[in-house]
Amino acid sequence: MSDWSFETRAIHSGFNRDTKTGATSVPIYQTAAFGFDSAEDIADVFQGRKFGHVYSRISNPTVSALELRFADLEGGLGAVAVASGMAALISVIQTLAKAGDRIVASRSLFGGTIHLLEDVLSQMGMGVDWVEATNLAAFAAAIRPETRGILVEIIGNPKLDVVDVRGLAAIANHAGVPLIVDNTMTTPYLCQIRELGAHIGVNCMGKFLTGNGNAIGGIVVDLGTFDWKNSRSERIQEWSRKVGKMAFLTVMRKLVTVNTGACLSPFNAYLFLMGLEALAVRMDRHVINATSLATHLASHLAVCHVSYPALPGSGFEDLVKTQFGGRGGALLTIRLGSKEKAYLFLNALKLVTIAANLGDARTLAIHPASTIYRDFSESEQQASGVYVDMVRVSVGLESIQDLFHDFDQALRVIQGSSLKNAIGETHA
Amino acid sequence: MNIQINGKVESFVAETLTVSALLVAQKVDMPEMVSVEVNGDVLDRDAFGTTVVKEGDTVEFLYFMGGGRA
Repeated sequence: MSDWSFETRAIHSGFNRDTKTGATSVPIYQTAAFGFDSAEDIADVFQGRKFGHVYSRISNPTVSALELRFADLEGGLGAVAVASGMAALISVIQTLAKAGDRIVASRSLFGGTIHLLEDVLSQMGMGVDWVEATNLAAFAAAIRPETRGILVEIIGNPKLDVVDVRGLAAIANHAGVPLIVDNTMTTPYLCQIRELGAHIGVNCMGKFLTGNGNAIGGIVVDLGTFDWKNSRSERIQEWSRKVGKMAFLTVMRKLVTVNTGACLSPFNAYLFLMGLEALAVRMDRHVINATSLATHLASHLAVCHVSYPALPGSGFEDLVKTQFGGRGGALLTIRLGSKEKAYLFLNALKLVTIAANLGDARTLAIHPASTIYRDFSESEQQASGVYVDMVRVSVGLESIQDLFHDFDQALRVIQGSSLKNAIGETHA
Repeated sequence: MNIQINGKVESFVAETLTVSALLVAQKVDMPEMVSVEVNGDVLDRDAFGTTVVKEGDTVEFLYFMGGGRA
């Protein structure tokens, strides 16, 4: 399957045709348990001697088809799909680390992920060492004997800084700790993180992978690039003697996700499989629209600043070129001068939806400072690239002319308000 | 030859078989997901086509995704 191109594998990999009925679309196995002919049969499956599904908290045929397809698209050994992107991240950390261990993490992680690491890991006796996403030397310096992994997002959300995956992989390899890359913002279509040397890939599937914002899910891929025999985790080392290269995925499924119950529903797995089929076509359009909108807004008088990784002057043009083939994803931010103007703009939008998601077919916008980052201090917000006058935009698949029209009319409302204020001030 | 597979003795006409051929002969489900242990050593997947099993060997098929505690 891996000889075929990405677009072909996104449609065919992991499931060709249902052997019993001929169904071309992956059937939804909406069942909690699976029946067996004999006590011996179910015992063999429990012991891992025979292939089979026993209970959907452990595995399910619809979810397995998704795992096989997505692992193929990332070029990995295998995958474990779970209930959300957050569940994927905590499952990776619970697989690699225990109380007393630490994770080195980028400061540019999504606010929800920062909360996860701050609020949950500390309660489990684990620590986090925060590092500037673009400072390779700081990553190297932050690694201690207790470090069990380095966690980054390929493009910070909403800071929109791009990490140097090759540089980080070299540091991770030198230290002997796995590099975990959240590839949600680029997906394996825009960036093959395995080729850049990453060890574990994480994707939040409710974003670009489904593409319709219709379900929540996460997936973890072992990219097959880490030597688990020499893992700093004794548990993974031990399992590598039994299952070889599959040690990380085995520990994650058998000892973590099965027990925590972070399983993905078969129905949601089906939605993600459907979404994946058109991923390449959608991502091309997302990128064209985002680039056009960023360029359009950069010359607008009412916009103080536009941030988009592929925009000239972003500082990330080289990494966007070498890692993503020049394609900067579909998220951009604009700064409008004040919180009031940001709110005026959001409330004036007619086509664009105010919502806390991204990677949707619909263009979505949000004021991060008063929503996702409401609990952060001003300095913490700024470290995450959040400003009080900033609006985050996830550019969808609508006609670009309609998007220009909606943004322009909403920006005119700000300009009208500025004019009224100026006139008011003159009269006062 | 007789070899022990997952705890049971199985007989084959051939005197030796590669692990790839053994997976086919045993009609192993989802062979792309199985780990194979020969005489206690876990094989690299890349070695399935070149590793030969012979009389008296012990073979275990292990699925990383099977099992668990339902």
